[in-house]
Amino acid sequence: MTLTLILEQTFNGLQAGVTLFLVAAGLTLILGIMDVVFLAHGAQVMIGAYAAAAVAAATGNFYIGLFLAIPVTFASGYVLEFLLIRHLYRRDHMEQVLATFGLILFFNELIRIGFGPAALYSDLPRSLSGFVEILPGAPYPIYRLWVILVGLACAIGIHIFVSRTRIGAMVRAGANNPEMTAALGINIKILFRFIFAVGACFAGVAGMMLGPITAVQPGMGEPLLILSLVVIIIGGVGSVRGAFIAAIIVGLIDTLGRVFLPAMLRSVVDQATADGAGPAVASMLVYITMAVVLIFRPTGLFPAKG
Amino acid sequence: MSGIRNLIGLVYEGVKDNRLLWLLIIGFALFPIITHFADLPFWNDVAMRIMLLGMAAMGLNLVLGYGGMVSFGHAAFIGIGAYCAGISQFYGITNGWVHLGFSIITCGFAGLVIGYLALRTSGIYFIMITLAFAQMLFFLFVSLEAFGGDDGMSIDRAEFGFIDLYDPLRLYFLIWIALVVVGMGLMFIVRSRFGVTLRAIKSNASRVEAMGLSPLRFKIVGYVISAVVCGIAGTLFASWQEYVSPDIMHWTRSGELMIIIILGGLGTLAGPLLGAIVFLLLEECLPLLLGAAAPAYAENWMILFGPFLIMVVMFGRGGLIGLLSQLQVRRNARSDHRGP
Repeated sequence: MTLTLILEQTFNGLQAGVTLFLVAAGLTLILGIMDVVFLAHGAQVMIGAYAAAAVAAATGNFYIGLFLAIPVTFASGYVLEFLLIRHLYRRDHMEQVLATFGLILFFNELIRIGFGPAALYSDLPRSLSGFVEILPGAPYPIYRLWVILVGLACAIGIHIFVSRTRIGAMVRAGANNPEMTAALGINIKILFRFIFAVGACFAGVAGMMLGPITAVQPGMGEPLLILSLVVIIIGGVGSVRGAFIAAIIVGLIDTLGRVFLPAMLRSVVDQATADGAGPAVASMLVYITMAVVLIFRPTGLFPAKG
Repeated sequence: MSGIRNLIGLVYEGVKDNRLLWLLIIGFALFPIITHFADLPFWNDVAMRIMLLGMAAMGLNLVLGYGGMVSFGHAAFIGIGAYCAGISQFYGITNGWVHLGFSIITCGFAGLVIGYLALRTSGIYFIMITLAFAQMLFFLFVSLEAFGGDDGMSIDRAEFGFIDLYDPLRLYFLIWIALVVVGMGLMFIVRSRFGVTLRAIKSNASRVEAMGLSPLRFKIVGYVISAVVCGIAGTLFASWQEYVSPDIMHWTRSGELMIIIILGGLGTLAGPLLGAIVFLLLEECLPLLLGAAAPAYAENWMILFGPFLIMVVMFGRGGLIGLLSQLQVRRNARSDHRGP
């Protein structure tokens, strides 16, 4: 019983972790390379989820929804960078916070006008619904397993791209020292726009995959945004590897903490105190982790700037 | 004696420099007369909200505008202040002065701890760690089932001795007096040696350090003061709203406070109050305007407000105060041109 519960929750934590990584991967580069505090990354998650859900509802095919939503989020990232974000590079952080905060309000309202305030629910395709036994007697939803696999595949893809390709080398150089990279003759403007659009795209993928698990509604990306900011800070701004490790840590801590911390507290203190404090501490656990990391390593676990 | 003379001198200087702040404060004192004769009691409520949010923004501005520390978590202190009132009421302590004292001590302590930890970082990391602390407290209050958890709890208005807060005008003037005290206090702080040092740290921390001062200590003190001001605003907010919930410290509220400051003018005394007026008037009027133009979309006023914010950032350098002083400069230039 306990072993299967632990296993199941570990898988849930992994699933939360890889989703977080998809959101954080682009954002850490946006923060690290472009030095832009981009709060509207959560809106990209929402756009991806809505695009997928709307197309899936219109065509009746889940996979078409997924594949059409990828270019939609890529385009939205590209256009957004062109229209607004490139004007923010030279502004200070506070102005960036405000402008992108304005973007959040705008996108949430746009979605609310377009699709209504109620949540959309999308059905799973038959091939992804149902359960699979990960251990004898421990059934696990196929869909969540599929999310973990897709997330891991994306992570490996991003890793190979960043560490093995020419553009990846430019990205790493940009994260380490943008001025020097530009001085070496790399077109940093195009690089920025490309990273921005790809980052938006991955956030969109996270949104699409979350669609069938959670409610697709205006503002759905914001909790994810805050958590992915935590991930980025823990991992070190600008470091994709750091973001992956931190995302998995945060996903596991958050999921396992919520399930097991109240029980663990109960064995230390009396029942009433544990029931009161357990959920409180569990929901704060992620932020406590971040604070502790920052106190001991003020630039995160894997700082990109050398 | 000379201390008192200096104090008077400082206040006088402040009056000269910050005529706008005093004009606004006097305006708030006279506002209930207008609403009384125009029979619009609802707008008293709006004015109270403006004063409360303006007060909190003034507190944040000490850190943000004068100190150059972009704190994205000040809503937490408003929330702590509000919950100080709420939790005291929960345990049967109804005296408002006790609430305020409780709130000042708690917020001061929270500001000290958060400031001490967060100010070890800077830049994006500082923005994010302040946000993280605010989220931590947000979820703490969400999970405190005894105090209503997610739904919050209704509370009675506090008792301030002879001031009966169920009389709307007395509540109005209690908030007004708090605003005056905060305004004068901040004016004094900004012009004191402490305030000057804080501004010096903003422009060049290493030089201040080279002069033998510890920037971190000044920053922490500034952070604590701004936390306390936000806490006072929060405590009064709870009494005004007769309701406390974690919603009061949602992270978007921290964003709102920053918007108010930028809108009014960063690092000015009157700026945050002016910003609060414009912000809340927009919040009240945009739905009406939109309702008149396109009735079906009256509730979607944020679709205009978001782009408005972006415009403010892109084109409105210096906020409304900056705009006003530009007008002033232009007018002066014109009168100089004409000659005496």
